Amino acid sequence: MAATLKKLSWVGEDVRLADVDAALAQLRSEASRDRPSMRTSVMTHIAWVPADWVEQARAALEGMAERHPSRTILLFPEPDADDNRIDARAEVERWEVPDTDRGLVTEVVELTLRGSRAEAPASIIEPLLISDLPVFLRWRGEPPWGAQQLEQLVDVTDRLIVDSIEWAEVPGPYRRLAELFPRCAASDIAWARTSRWRSHLATLWPAIGDVRTVGVRGTAAQAWLLCGWLRSRLGRDDIALEHDPAEQLEGVLLDGDAVPLPPGDPPAPSDVLSDELERFTPNPVYEAAVLATVE
Amino acid sequence: MSTTAPDRQQENPLAEGLALRRTPDPCALVIFGASGDLTHKKLMPALYALAVRRLLPPRFAIVGVARTGGDDGSFREDMANAVKQHARDPFRQDVWDELAAQLHYLATDFADSSGEDKLHGLLGELDEKEELGGKRVFYLAVPPPAFPTIVEALGKRRDERGWTRLVVEKPFGHDLASAKELTATLLEYFKEEEIFRIDHYLGKETVQNMLALRFANGIFEPIWNRQFVDHVQITVAESIGIEARAGYYEQAGAIRDIFQNHLLQLLALTAMEPPIDFTSASVHNEKVKVLRALHTPAPRSVVRGQYGRGFIEGEEVVAYREEAGVAAESMTETFVAAKLYVDNWRWADTPFYVRMGKRLARHETTIAIQFKEAPHPPFEESAAEGVRPNVLVVHVQPDEGVSLAIGAKVPGQGMTIRTVHMDFLYGGTFRTGMPEAYERLILDTMLGDSTLFTRADEVEEQWLLVDSIVAAWQRDKPSFPNYPSGTWGPPSAEELLHRDGRAWRRP
Repeated sequence: MAATLKKLSWVGEDVRLADVDAALAQLRSEASRDRPSMRTSVMTHIAWVPADWVEQARAALEGMAERHPSRTILLFPEPDADDNRIDARAEVERWEVPDTDRGLVTEVVELTLRGSRAEAPASIIEPLLISDLPVFLRWRGEPPWGAQQLEQLVDVTDRLIVDSIEWAEVPGPYRRLAELFPRCAASDIAWARTSRWRSHLATLWPAIGDVRTVGVRGTAAQAWLLCGWLRSRLGRDDIALEHDPAEQLEGVLLDGDAVPLPPGDPPAPSDVLSDELERFTPNPVYEAAVLATVE
Repeated sequence: MSTTAPDRQQENPLAEGLALRRTPDPCALVIFGASGDLTHKKLMPALYALAVRRLLPPRFAIVGVARTGGDDGSFREDMANAVKQHARDPFRQDVWDELAAQLHYLATDFADSSGEDKLHGLLGELDEKEELGGKRVFYLAVPPPAFPTIVEALGKRRDERGWTRLVVEKPFGHDLASAKELTATLLEYFKEEEIFRIDHYLGKETVQNMLALRFANGIFEPIWNRQFVDHVQITVAESIGIEARAGYYEQAGAIRDIFQNHLLQLLALTAMEPPIDFTSASVHNEKVKVLRALHTPAPRSVVRGQYGRGFIEGEEVVAYREEAGVAAESMTETFVAAKLYVDNWRWADTPFYVRMGKRLARHETTIAIQFKEAPHPPFEESAAEGVRPNVLVVHVQPDEGVSLAIGAKVPGQGMTIRTVHMDFLYGGTFRTGMPEAYERLILDTMLGDSTLFTRADEVEEQWLLVDSIVAAWQRDKPSFPNYPSGTWGPPSAEELLHRDGRAWRRP
């Protein structure tokens, strides 16, 4: 893993976005003072992070900038704040490019949107998007379906990334998520975490084609998504789900018979998010599985 | 939603959308020359990297064959050390334990027919135990003189149940006649599609990126021709000497070691027409067209050199003729530069300047496409005097990536233009670690994909050109050594371009 050579930051209260842009330029220049550095970006990564998710959001970023050099914009909405303003923190990290005398810089911008400034987030991130690169929106927790903030951000986003494990109750919200499919591609980290099991279950074809009940020990989201996947792929809406709650996906039973564990280790959280950031087009298999959970 | 039961004859509906990994069939990989450098430094580290990423077949066996005495235990220990020393991934005991259990060793000499019996017996046992279905990859990591004996022995005892693939390391002969002879030997027992001739350069990500750069970007292909390209420069420079390979190098020289294979393959990838698809046959067909179109260079368009004493990274190094195992009056070339022409519609009259050598100023392989100058820059002469023509450089190694040299205005009053670089560095954008060439090539062999290997007709076209150059060399005897170590070759290499009003770019 490459070493971070330098980390520089800037903090401002009640800022304008031009201040943030200027601060980023200044930080990039400082980071490149000793050795030449490139600003290489493959995307703009936005995360909408309500107060309860701040720590998890920061943790998920660990190691990700290294795999996906990007401008990351973390939006911390505080709609109930007493005043209306934007507080900002900009950070530039300089990474060593192995076997060269050059480095590259990545950028993280944290914007705290206080009071009414949390109402129109698209107008805040638009000036900070990197031209011509895809925009990924990571929404922590269950999105406020139909709310102005979500609607606005979806319209400037190429891909919405959610983790339906973070949602209080499924499968109901999947119907609302499916309403967004025509507007932007969607990724679900809960779905990504079932990939080892899906690959493994696929090897059981054609015998699996007759399954009547699928038992899943894991989160409700993963149980419903696996069941929806089988229903949609096999073209059968009569497959029943038996869900045995657990913190993570631990086992699958087909008509009561346990399926052996799939080979390999479960992926790390940052790897799962990172893999989703490499997809650019809608995933029709996922979309069909989501629809099959609620039809 | 339909409740119709699925049709059992249909394709697996659960497989759709899954990121199916390219996992080969269960098979046995037999490495001849298992005690050699290639196995230690490249093959086993590559197999370990594939094991880390779970890309090896679910049921698999590796059989090391060499004359050196030993058994499974000592081979596993030896290979563990090789992995610790040379692998790109940190050593993981759990991964290694799993891989080591699949390692077997056979100490035998194939010149002795009992060696064949032993290997045949061992593979039979492994077939039964691991259910490998008679599928075999035979990897010849041995010197060429050993090929015929091994190929004949393997060919006579082919297991007809599964597939067989034969991997051959270069050199593929030492001239056209011997290359044809080798091909004939191989074809006596194996079909062309079963033969995988490795040129490890083709397994490098950056070499494959040449195809992506050219054929996935609409902006380059329209200007990738004689109308817009002034010339092409290909440099394969090494700063190391011949190390312990005097025996081989004295016979081969730079022209057989690098020019005949790596360099001409890089040229073919640079100059080829777009293939209709990315199948092995389509890519080979386009490459071989370029090789056939290569014009035999006149003697004055080829320069050879041999390094004398000099300095590399501040350290004094000996001359080629002073290297251990090299004849005191050796006339072997360690440097070749040439001006080549691809005689076809796209490249007519566009020179491809190529150079390769040992003990050059730095280790670097690049392909540089130099475009023609702007026809009428509307600036004062002094403003643009620092401007050089646009150059698109593919950095094959090190600093893998692509850079484009463009003219840009220097900030300030007035109009001064300087050449600046826009860089794409693999390490700076895709930070997932570059796979070693051998990882890709070993995996492709097991998968039966020969796109990144060299076909017999390509090898023969390459030798045809080399033979004509070497034949011309018989007529004169240059004064060797003619370049100091740590420089960019003999002055005549500079002359080669100066005559055309051009200069080598500084890599």
